Amino acid sequence: MPACLPKVWRLLPAGFLLIALPVAGSQVNTSSGWNMPPGVTGISQNIFSLHMIIFWICVVIALVVFGVIFWSLFAYRKSKGAKAAHFHENTLVEVIWTALPLIILVAMAVPATATLKQLYDTSEADMDILVTGHQWRWHYQYMEEDLSFFSNLATPRSQIEGQEDKGDFYLLEVDQPLVVPTGQKIRFLFTSNDVIHSWWVPDLGIKKDTLPGFINESWTRIEEEGTYRGQCAELCGRNHAFMPIEVKAVSPEAYQSWVEERKAAAASEAANVDRERSLDELMQRGEEVYTTYCAACHQEDGGGMPPAFPALKGNALVQEESGRQQHLETVLHGRSGTPMPAYSDTLSLADIAAVITYERNAWGNNSGDRVQPAEIRELLDSDD
Amino acid sequence: MWRVLQAVLAAFFGVQSERKRREDFQQSSPWPFILTGVLMTLVFVVAVGFLAHWASS
Ligand code: HEC
Ligand SMILES: [Cu+2]
Repeated sequence: MPACLPKVWRLLPAGFLLIALPVAGSQVNTSSGWNMPPGVTGISQNIFSLHMIIFWICVVIALVVFGVIFWSLFAYRKSKGAKAAHFHENTLVEVIWTALPLIILVAMAVPATATLKQLYDTSEADMDILVTGHQWRWHYQYMEEDLSFFSNLATPRSQIEGQEDKGDFYLLEVDQPLVVPTGQKIRFLFTSNDVIHSWWVPDLGIKKDTLPGFINESWTRIEEEGTYRGQCAELCGRNHAFMPIEVKAVSPEAYQSWVEERKAAAASEAANVDRERSLDELMQRGEEVYTTYCAACHQEDGGGMPPAFPALKGNALVQEESGRQQHLETVLHGRSGTPMPAYSDTLSLADIAAVITYERNAWGNNSGDRVQPAEIRELLDSDD
Repeated sequence: MWRVLQAVLAAFFGVQSERKRREDFQQSSPWPFILTGVLMTLVFVVAVGFLAHWASS
Protein backbone atom coordinates (compact mmCIF):
# COMPACT_ATOMS: atom_id res chain seq x y z
CA MET A 1 0.00 0.00 0.00
CA PRO A 2 1.45 3.42 -0.94
CA ALA A 3 3.05 5.24 1.96
CA CYS A 4 1.25 8.49 1.13
CA LEU A 5 -2.11 7.19 2.37
CA PRO A 6 -3.24 8.33 5.82
CA LYS A 7 -2.43 5.78 8.50
CA VAL A 8 -5.97 4.58 9.25
CA TRP A 9 -6.56 3.74 5.60
CA ARG A 10 -3.92 1.10 5.76
CA LEU A 11 -6.09 -0.80 8.21
CA LEU A 12 -8.80 -1.03 5.59
CA PRO A 13 -8.26 -4.65 4.44
CA ALA A 14 -8.23 -5.98 8.00
CA GLY A 15 -11.39 -4.00 8.80
CA PHE A 16 -13.02 -5.34 5.69
CA LEU A 17 -12.28 -8.91 6.72
CA LEU A 18 -13.58 -8.33 10.24
CA ILE A 19 -16.92 -7.17 8.85
CA ALA A 20 -17.21 -9.42 5.79
CA LEU A 21 -16.61 -12.72 7.60
CA PRO A 22 -19.55 -12.58 10.01
CA VAL A 23 -21.83 -11.27 7.25
CA ALA A 24 -20.86 -14.17 5.02
CA GLY A 25 -21.36 -16.47 7.97
CA SER A 26 -24.87 -15.25 8.70
CA GLN A 27 -25.85 -16.02 5.10
CA VAL A 28 -24.99 -19.66 5.78
CA ASN A 29 -27.70 -19.63 8.42
CA THR A 30 -30.46 -19.05 5.89
CA SER A 31 -31.78 -21.71 3.55
CA SER A 32 -28.99 -21.29 1.03
CA GLY A 33 -28.54 -25.05 0.74
CA TRP A 34 -25.03 -24.74 2.23
CA ASN A 35 -26.11 -25.53 5.75
CA MET A 36 -27.70 -28.58 7.33
CA PRO A 37 -31.51 -28.47 7.36
CA PRO A 38 -33.33 -27.61 10.63
CA GLY A 39 -35.60 -30.58 9.95
CA VAL A 40 -39.12 -31.38 11.09
CA THR A 41 -38.71 -32.99 14.51
CA GLY A 42 -37.87 -31.60 17.93
CA ILE A 43 -34.59 -33.49 17.95
CA SER A 44 -33.51 -32.36 14.50
CA GLN A 45 -34.25 -28.75 15.46
CA ASN A 46 -32.25 -29.13 18.68
CA ILE A 47 -29.35 -30.51 16.69
CA PHE A 48 -29.62 -27.60 14.28
CA SER A 49 -29.57 -24.94 16.99
CA LEU A 50 -26.64 -26.67 18.73
CA HIS A 51 -24.81 -26.60 15.42
CA MET A 52 -25.51 -22.88 14.96
CA ILE A 53 -24.57 -21.92 18.54
CA ILE A 54 -21.28 -23.77 18.32
CA PHE A 55 -20.64 -22.34 14.88
CA TRP A 56 -21.01 -18.79 16.22
CA ILE A 57 -18.82 -19.54 19.25
CA CYS A 58 -16.14 -20.71 16.81
CA VAL A 59 -16.56 -17.56 14.71
CA VAL A 60 -16.16 -15.29 17.75
CA ILE A 61 -13.10 -17.21 19.00
CA ALA A 62 -11.53 -17.09 15.56
CA LEU A 63 -12.12 -13.35 15.25
CA VAL A 64 -10.63 -12.64 18.69
CA VAL A 65 -7.61 -14.91 18.27
CA PHE A 66 -6.77 -13.92 14.72
CA GLY A 67 -7.61 -10.30 15.51
CA VAL A 68 -4.99 -10.25 18.28
CA ILE A 69 -2.45 -12.00 16.05
CA PHE A 70 -2.93 -9.64 13.10
CA TRP A 71 -3.02 -6.56 15.28
CA SER A 72 0.22 -7.63 17.03
CA LEU A 73 1.90 -8.34 13.72
CA PHE A 74 0.89 -4.95 12.47
CA ALA A 75 1.39 -2.76 15.53
CA TYR A 76 4.74 -4.31 16.53
CA ARG A 77 6.32 -4.68 13.13
CA LYS A 78 10.06 -4.49 12.70
CA SER A 79 10.01 -1.35 10.55
CA LYS A 80 8.61 0.44 13.59
CA GLY A 81 11.63 -0.67 15.57
CA ALA A 82 9.80 -3.31 17.65
CA LYS A 83 12.09 -5.53 19.73
CA ALA A 84 11.23 -9.05 20.84
CA ALA A 85 10.67 -9.41 24.58
CA HIS A 86 12.69 -12.06 26.39
CA PHE A 87 10.79 -13.57 29.28
CA HIS A 88 10.19 -17.14 30.28
CA GLU A 89 6.68 -17.38 31.58
CA ASN A 90 3.61 -15.56 32.74
CA THR A 91 1.63 -17.82 35.05
CA LEU A 92 -1.44 -15.61 35.15
CA VAL A 93 -1.82 -15.46 31.35
CA GLU A 94 -1.23 -19.19 31.09
CA VAL A 95 -3.90 -19.92 33.68
CA ILE A 96 -6.36 -17.71 31.82
CA TRP A 97 -5.77 -19.28 28.44
CA THR A 98 -6.09 -22.75 29.93
CA ALA A 99 -9.19 -22.07 31.99
CA LEU A 100 -11.10 -20.13 29.33
CA PRO A 101 -11.30 -22.96 26.75
CA LEU A 102 -12.21 -25.34 29.58
CA ILE A 103 -15.14 -23.15 30.56
CA ILE A 104 -16.24 -22.74 26.92
CA LEU A 105 -16.08 -26.50 26.32
CA VAL A 106 -18.09 -27.31 29.42
CA ALA A 107 -20.64 -24.63 28.48
CA MET A 108 -21.06 -26.28 25.07
CA ALA A 109 -21.19 -29.77 26.57
CA VAL A 110 -24.19 -29.02 28.77
CA PRO A 111 -26.83 -28.43 26.03
CA ALA A 112 -25.16 -31.06 23.81
CA THR A 113 -25.49 -33.70 26.53
CA ALA A 114 -29.13 -32.79 27.09
CA THR A 115 -29.84 -33.34 23.38
CA LEU A 116 -27.90 -36.61 23.34
CA LYS A 117 -29.97 -37.88 26.25
CA GLN A 118 -33.16 -37.10 24.34
CA LEU A 119 -31.76 -38.72 21.23
CA TYR A 120 -31.17 -42.03 22.98
CA ASP A 121 -34.41 -42.12 24.92
CA THR A 122 -36.37 -44.68 22.91
CA SER A 123 -38.73 -45.52 25.77
CA GLU A 124 -42.53 -45.27 25.61
CA ALA A 125 -42.83 -45.39 21.85
CA ASP A 126 -46.27 -45.59 20.23
CA MET A 127 -45.06 -47.94 17.51
CA ASP A 128 -41.96 -49.81 16.34
CA ILE A 129 -40.54 -50.22 12.87
CA LEU A 130 -37.73 -52.64 12.02
CA VAL A 131 -35.50 -51.25 9.29
CA THR A 132 -33.28 -53.80 7.55
CA GLY A 133 -30.59 -52.85 5.05
CA HIS A 134 -30.20 -55.11 2.03
CA GLN A 135 -27.89 -54.83 -0.94
CA TRP A 136 -29.41 -52.55 -2.32
CA ARG A 137 -32.83 -51.75 -0.94
CA TRP A 138 -34.47 -51.08 2.41
CA HIS A 139 -36.93 -53.40 4.09
CA TYR A 140 -39.49 -52.05 6.56
CA GLN A 141 -41.43 -54.13 9.02
CA TYR A 142 -44.20 -52.64 11.16
CA MET A 143 -43.83 -54.61 14.36
CA GLU A 144 -47.36 -54.11 15.67
CA GLU A 145 -48.99 -54.79 12.31
CA ASP A 146 -48.70 -57.80 10.09
CA LEU A 147 -47.08 -55.62 7.50
CA SER A 148 -43.68 -55.49 5.82
CA PHE A 149 -42.29 -54.59 2.42
CA PHE A 150 -39.21 -53.67 0.41
CA SER A 151 -38.62 -50.12 -0.72
CA ASN A 152 -36.83 -49.97 -4.09
CA LEU A 153 -35.31 -47.18 -6.15
CA ALA A 154 -37.95 -45.86 -8.57
CA THR A 155 -35.80 -43.66 -10.80
CA PRO A 156 -35.94 -45.12 -14.32
CA ARG A 157 -32.72 -46.49 -15.80
CA SER A 158 -33.13 -44.19 -18.79
CA GLN A 159 -32.50 -41.21 -16.47
CA ILE A 160 -29.53 -42.93 -14.84
CA GLU A 161 -27.99 -43.72 -18.20
CA GLY A 162 -28.53 -40.19 -19.48
CA GLN A 163 -31.05 -40.96 -22.26
CA GLU A 164 -33.63 -38.83 -20.47
CA ASP A 165 -33.51 -35.65 -18.39
CA LYS A 166 -33.15 -36.17 -14.67
CA GLY A 167 -36.34 -35.73 -12.61
CA ASP A 168 -36.71 -33.54 -9.52
CA PHE A 169 -36.10 -36.44 -7.16
CA TYR A 170 -33.44 -38.20 -9.18
CA LEU A 171 -32.13 -41.16 -7.12
CA LEU A 172 -34.24 -39.98 -4.15
CA GLU A 173 -37.52 -41.69 -5.07
CA VAL A 174 -38.78 -45.19 -4.25
CA ASP A 175 -41.63 -47.46 -5.34
CA GLN A 176 -43.07 -47.86 -1.83
CA PRO A 177 -42.24 -45.15 0.73
CA LEU A 178 -42.16 -45.72 4.46
CA VAL A 179 -45.51 -44.33 5.60
CA VAL A 180 -45.72 -43.10 9.21
CA PRO A 181 -48.25 -41.13 11.25
CA THR A 182 -47.52 -37.59 12.45
CA GLY A 183 -47.44 -36.69 16.15
CA GLN A 184 -46.59 -40.21 17.33
CA LYS A 185 -43.36 -41.45 18.87
CA ILE A 186 -41.95 -44.01 16.46
CA ARG A 187 -39.12 -46.25 17.54
CA PHE A 188 -36.83 -47.54 14.81
CA LEU A 189 -34.85 -50.75 15.16
CA PHE A 190 -32.00 -51.02 12.68
CA THR A 191 -30.22 -54.09 11.41
CA SER A 192 -28.77 -55.45 8.19
CA ASN A 193 -29.12 -58.55 6.08
CA ASP A 194 -25.65 -58.41 4.57
CA VAL A 195 -23.10 -55.59 4.94
CA ILE A 196 -23.11 -52.35 6.93
CA HIS A 197 -25.53 -49.74 5.63
CA SER A 198 -26.63 -46.49 7.23
CA TRP A 199 -30.16 -45.11 7.32
CA TRP A 200 -29.84 -41.37 6.89
CA VAL A 201 -32.75 -38.91 6.71
CA PRO A 202 -31.46 -35.36 7.41
CA ASP A 203 -34.92 -33.86 8.02
CA LEU A 204 -35.50 -36.32 10.88
CA GLY A 205 -32.02 -35.82 12.33
CA ILE A 206 -31.34 -39.56 12.05
CA LYS A 207 -28.25 -41.22 10.67
CA LYS A 208 -27.90 -44.70 12.08
CA ASP A 209 -25.67 -47.55 10.96
CA THR A 210 -27.37 -50.87 10.26
CA LEU A 211 -25.08 -53.74 11.24
CA PRO A 212 -25.57 -57.43 10.47
CA GLY A 213 -26.18 -59.29 13.73
CA PHE A 214 -26.75 -56.14 15.79
CA ILE A 215 -29.77 -53.97 16.52
CA ASN A 216 -29.41 -50.19 16.77
CA GLU A 217 -32.22 -47.96 17.97
CA SER A 218 -33.45 -44.47 17.33
CA TRP A 219 -36.76 -42.66 17.39
CA THR A 220 -38.66 -39.80 15.86
CA ARG A 221 -41.83 -37.79 16.27
CA ILE A 222 -42.69 -35.94 13.08
CA GLU A 223 -44.96 -32.94 13.55
CA GLU A 224 -45.42 -31.85 9.93
CA GLU A 225 -46.98 -33.93 7.19
CA GLY A 226 -44.73 -34.29 4.20
CA THR A 227 -42.22 -36.40 2.32
CA TYR A 228 -38.70 -36.58 3.71
CA ARG A 229 -35.92 -38.09 1.67
CA GLY A 230 -32.60 -39.65 2.48
CA GLN A 231 -29.92 -42.07 1.35
CA CYS A 232 -27.73 -44.93 2.47
CA ALA A 233 -24.75 -43.26 4.14
CA GLU A 234 -22.34 -46.18 4.40
CA LEU A 235 -20.58 -47.42 1.27
CA CYS A 236 -22.15 -50.85 0.80
CA GLY A 237 -21.23 -52.04 -2.67
CA ARG A 238 -21.86 -51.19 -6.30
CA ASN A 239 -25.44 -49.91 -5.93
CA HIS A 240 -24.82 -47.94 -2.74
CA ALA A 241 -26.05 -44.77 -4.43
CA PHE A 242 -29.22 -46.50 -5.63
CA MET A 243 -30.98 -47.34 -2.35
CA PRO A 244 -32.70 -44.11 -1.31
CA ILE A 245 -35.10 -43.58 1.57
CA GLU A 246 -38.48 -41.90 1.31
CA VAL A 247 -40.47 -41.26 4.49
CA LYS A 248 -44.05 -40.10 4.05
CA ALA A 249 -45.60 -38.58 7.17
CA VAL A 250 -49.41 -38.47 7.07
CA SER A 251 -52.16 -37.81 9.60
CA PRO A 252 -52.90 -40.71 11.99
CA GLU A 253 -56.26 -41.30 10.25
CA ALA A 254 -54.70 -41.44 6.80
CA TYR A 255 -52.05 -43.76 8.24
CA GLN A 256 -54.68 -46.15 9.61
CA SER A 257 -56.51 -46.36 6.31
CA TRP A 258 -53.20 -46.90 4.50
CA VAL A 259 -52.46 -49.85 6.82
CA GLU A 260 -55.91 -51.33 6.14
CA GLU A 261 -55.41 -50.93 2.41
CA ARG A 262 -52.03 -52.63 2.48
CA LYS A 263 -53.38 -55.52 4.48
CA ALA A 264 -56.38 -55.93 2.18
CA ALA A 265 -54.08 -55.94 -0.85
CA ALA A 266 -51.85 -58.59 0.73
CA ALA A 267 -54.88 -60.73 1.61
CA SER A 268 -56.34 -60.55 -1.88
CA GLU A 269 -52.95 -61.42 -3.38
CA ALA A 270 -52.72 -64.49 -1.14
CA ALA A 271 -56.26 -65.49 -2.08
CA ASN A 272 -55.41 -65.07 -5.73
CA VAL A 273 -52.36 -67.32 -5.92
CA ASP A 274 -54.32 -70.04 -7.70
CA ARG A 275 -55.62 -67.78 -10.40
CA GLU A 276 -54.21 -68.74 -13.79
CA ARG A 277 -52.31 -65.78 -15.28
CA SER A 278 -51.98 -64.95 -18.96
CA LEU A 279 -48.59 -64.61 -20.64
CA ASP A 280 -49.15 -60.87 -21.10
CA GLU A 281 -49.92 -60.28 -17.46
CA LEU A 282 -46.89 -62.29 -16.34
CA MET A 283 -44.61 -60.54 -18.85
CA GLN A 284 -45.74 -57.08 -17.80
CA ARG A 285 -45.18 -57.68 -14.08
CA GLY A 286 -42.06 -59.71 -14.83
CA GLU A 287 -40.40 -56.83 -16.63
CA GLU A 288 -40.93 -54.54 -13.62
CA VAL A 289 -39.52 -57.11 -11.22
CA TYR A 290 -36.58 -57.84 -13.52
CA THR A 291 -35.70 -54.16 -13.83
CA THR A 292 -35.83 -53.64 -10.08
CA TYR A 293 -34.14 -56.81 -8.86
CA CYS A 294 -32.11 -58.47 -11.61
CA ALA A 295 -30.99 -55.84 -14.13
CA ALA A 296 -28.21 -54.55 -11.86
CA CYS A 297 -26.27 -57.79 -12.52
CA HIS A 298 -27.84 -59.46 -15.56
CA GLN A 299 -28.45 -56.13 -17.35
CA GLU A 300 -31.59 -54.68 -18.89
CA ASP A 301 -31.04 -56.50 -22.20
CA GLY A 302 -30.34 -59.84 -20.51
CA GLY A 303 -26.79 -59.75 -21.84
CA GLY A 304 -25.21 -59.93 -18.37
CA MET A 305 -21.56 -59.01 -17.85
CA PRO A 306 -19.71 -62.26 -18.50
CA PRO A 307 -17.80 -63.83 -16.91
CA ALA A 308 -18.99 -62.22 -13.64
CA PHE A 309 -22.73 -62.23 -14.39
CA PRO A 310 -23.93 -64.76 -16.99
CA ALA A 311 -26.14 -63.71 -19.88
CA LEU A 312 -29.75 -64.89 -19.61
CA LYS A 313 -30.49 -64.01 -23.20
CA GLY A 314 -30.00 -67.10 -25.35
CA ASN A 315 -29.07 -69.10 -22.23
CA ALA A 316 -30.09 -72.79 -22.56
CA LEU A 317 -31.08 -72.98 -18.88
CA VAL A 318 -33.46 -70.07 -19.33
CA GLN A 319 -34.80 -71.09 -22.73
CA GLU A 320 -35.17 -74.83 -22.92
CA GLU A 321 -37.54 -77.20 -21.18
CA SER A 322 -34.63 -79.27 -19.83
CA GLY A 323 -33.32 -76.27 -17.86
CA ARG A 324 -36.68 -75.23 -16.45
CA GLN A 325 -36.40 -76.99 -13.08
CA GLN A 326 -32.89 -75.70 -12.46
CA HIS A 327 -33.94 -72.21 -13.53
CA LEU A 328 -36.68 -72.18 -10.90
CA GLU A 329 -34.35 -73.56 -8.22
CA THR A 330 -31.68 -70.96 -9.06
CA VAL A 331 -34.04 -68.01 -8.66
CA LEU A 332 -35.67 -69.37 -5.49
CA HIS A 333 -32.55 -70.46 -3.64
CA GLY A 334 -29.73 -68.56 -5.35
CA ARG A 335 -26.33 -70.13 -5.90
CA SER A 336 -24.38 -70.32 -2.70
CA GLY A 337 -20.81 -69.17 -3.01
CA THR A 338 -21.70 -66.83 -5.89
CA PRO A 339 -23.29 -63.37 -5.91
CA MET A 340 -26.59 -64.86 -7.21
CA PRO A 341 -29.06 -64.16 -4.33
CA ALA A 342 -31.99 -66.33 -3.21
CA TYR A 343 -35.36 -64.69 -3.90
CA SER A 344 -37.77 -67.00 -2.06
CA ASP A 345 -37.88 -64.63 0.93
CA THR A 346 -37.55 -61.37 -0.98
CA LEU A 347 -40.20 -61.65 -3.67
CA SER A 348 -43.84 -62.72 -3.56
CA LEU A 349 -44.94 -65.94 -5.29
CA ALA A 350 -46.57 -63.90 -8.03
CA ASP A 351 -43.43 -61.81 -8.59
CA ILE A 352 -41.19 -64.88 -8.77
CA ALA A 353 -43.49 -66.54 -11.28
CA ALA A 354 -43.65 -63.34 -13.32
CA VAL A 355 -39.91 -62.69 -13.42
CA ILE A 356 -39.11 -66.27 -14.41
CA THR A 357 -41.74 -66.14 -17.15
CA TYR A 358 -40.25 -62.85 -18.30
CA GLU A 359 -36.73 -64.29 -18.50
CA ARG A 360 -37.98 -67.27 -20.47
CA ASN A 361 -39.74 -65.07 -23.06
CA ALA A 362 -37.90 -61.75 -23.26
CA TRP A 363 -35.01 -60.78 -25.55
CA GLY A 364 -35.86 -63.46 -28.11
CA ASN A 365 -35.96 -66.27 -25.54
CA ASN A 366 -39.32 -67.17 -27.04
CA SER A 367 -40.03 -70.36 -25.16
CA GLY A 368 -43.73 -69.49 -24.83
CA ASP A 369 -43.41 -71.03 -21.38
CA ARG A 370 -45.51 -69.72 -18.48
CA VAL A 371 -44.77 -70.15 -14.77
CA GLN A 372 -47.73 -69.74 -12.41
CA PRO A 373 -47.54 -68.61 -8.74
CA ALA A 374 -49.18 -71.88 -7.64
CA GLU A 375 -46.29 -73.83 -9.18
CA ILE A 376 -43.79 -71.78 -7.17
CA ARG A 377 -45.78 -72.40 -3.99
CA GLU A 378 -45.79 -76.15 -4.63
CA LEU A 379 -42.06 -76.13 -5.23
CA LEU A 380 -41.39 -74.22 -2.01
CA ASP A 381 -43.70 -76.50 -0.01
CA SER A 382 -41.99 -79.61 -1.32
CA ASP A 383 -38.59 -78.15 -0.38
CA ASP A 384 -39.49 -77.84 3.27
CA MET B 1 2.33 -33.11 51.54
CA TRP B 2 0.46 -29.98 50.47
CA ARG B 3 3.38 -29.03 48.26
CA VAL B 4 3.25 -32.43 46.50
CA LEU B 5 -0.50 -32.20 45.97
CA GLN B 6 -0.11 -28.69 44.61
CA ALA B 7 2.54 -29.87 42.16
CA VAL B 8 0.31 -32.73 40.96
CA LEU B 9 -2.74 -30.48 40.54
CA ALA B 10 -0.64 -27.96 38.63
CA ALA B 11 0.51 -30.80 36.37
CA PHE B 12 -3.11 -31.85 35.77
CA PHE B 13 -3.97 -28.29 34.84
CA GLY B 14 -0.84 -27.96 32.74
CA VAL B 15 0.52 -24.71 34.18
CA GLN B 16 3.27 -24.31 36.78
CA SER B 17 5.54 -21.39 37.63
CA GLU B 18 9.27 -21.76 37.14
CA ARG B 19 9.95 -20.94 40.83
CA LYS B 20 7.74 -23.76 42.13
CA ARG B 21 9.19 -26.17 39.59
CA ARG B 22 12.71 -25.49 40.85
CA GLU B 23 11.63 -26.03 44.43
CA ASP B 24 9.92 -29.32 43.56
CA PHE B 25 13.04 -30.59 41.88
CA GLN B 26 15.01 -29.95 45.05
CA GLN B 27 13.16 -32.75 46.88
CA SER B 28 15.25 -35.81 47.63
CA SER B 29 12.87 -38.45 46.24
CA PRO B 30 10.44 -38.44 43.26
CA TRP B 31 8.23 -41.16 44.79
CA PRO B 32 5.76 -38.92 46.68
CA PHE B 33 5.06 -37.12 43.37
CA ILE B 34 4.60 -40.35 41.40
CA LEU B 35 2.34 -41.99 43.99
CA THR B 36 0.21 -38.87 44.43
CA GLY B 37 -0.02 -38.59 40.66
CA VAL B 38 -1.30 -42.15 40.26
CA LEU B 39 -3.73 -41.72 43.13
CA MET B 40 -5.11 -38.45 41.80
CA THR B 41 -5.53 -40.02 38.37
CA LEU B 42 -7.74 -42.68 39.93
CA VAL B 43 -9.71 -40.04 41.81
CA PHE B 44 -10.17 -38.12 38.56
CA VAL B 45 -11.40 -41.18 36.64
CA VAL B 46 -13.90 -42.07 39.36
CA ALA B 47 -15.09 -38.46 39.52
CA VAL B 48 -15.68 -38.36 35.75
CA GLY B 49 -17.54 -41.67 36.08
CA PHE B 50 -19.82 -40.22 38.74
CA LEU B 51 -20.37 -37.08 36.72
CA ALA B 52 -21.36 -39.10 33.65
CA HIS B 53 -23.62 -41.27 35.76
CA TRP B 54 -25.29 -38.25 37.32
CA ALA B 55 -25.73 -36.53 33.94
CA SER B 56 -27.34 -39.56 32.35
CA SER B 57 -29.76 -40.40 35.14
C1 HEC C 1 -25.86 -59.51 -7.32
C2 HEC C 1 -25.89 -59.95 -8.68
C3 HEC C 1 -27.09 -60.77 -9.16
C4 HEC C 1 -28.42 -60.43 -9.10
C5 HEC C 1 -29.04 -59.17 -8.51
C6 HEC C 1 -29.11 -61.49 -9.77
N1 HEC C 1 -28.24 -62.43 -10.20
FE1 HEC C 1 -28.73 -64.12 -11.21
N2 HEC C 1 -26.79 -64.68 -11.19
C7 HEC C 1 -25.74 -63.96 -10.67
C8 HEC C 1 -24.53 -64.72 -10.83
C9 HEC C 1 -23.13 -64.28 -10.37
C10 HEC C 1 -24.88 -65.94 -11.43
C11 HEC C 1 -23.94 -67.09 -11.81
C12 HEC C 1 -23.94 -68.07 -10.64
C13 HEC C 1 -22.98 -69.21 -10.88
O1 HEC C 1 -21.81 -68.92 -11.10
O2 HEC C 1 -23.45 -70.36 -10.83
C14 HEC C 1 -26.28 -65.87 -11.66
C15 HEC C 1 -27.02 -66.87 -12.27
C16 HEC C 1 -28.36 -66.80 -12.59
C17 HEC C 1 -29.08 -67.79 -13.34
C18 HEC C 1 -28.50 -69.07 -13.87
C19 HEC C 1 -27.79 -68.77 -15.15
C20 HEC C 1 -26.91 -69.92 -15.58
O3 HEC C 1 -26.54 -69.91 -16.76
O4 HEC C 1 -26.56 -70.75 -14.75
C21 HEC C 1 -30.36 -67.35 -13.44
C22 HEC C 1 -31.50 -68.04 -14.17
C23 HEC C 1 -30.43 -66.07 -12.76
N3 HEC C 1 -29.20 -65.78 -12.25
C24 HEC C 1 -31.60 -65.34 -12.63
C25 HEC C 1 -31.68 -64.18 -11.88
C26 HEC C 1 -32.91 -63.49 -11.62
C27 HEC C 1 -34.28 -63.89 -12.12
C28 HEC C 1 -32.61 -62.42 -10.85
C29 HEC C 1 -33.55 -61.38 -10.28
C30 HEC C 1 -34.72 -61.83 -9.61
C31 HEC C 1 -31.18 -62.44 -10.65
N4 HEC C 1 -30.64 -63.51 -11.27
C32 HEC C 1 -30.49 -61.49 -9.92
C33 HEC C 1 -25.81 -62.69 -10.10
C34 HEC C 1 -26.99 -62.02 -9.85
CU1 LIG D 1 -26.34 -49.38 1.73
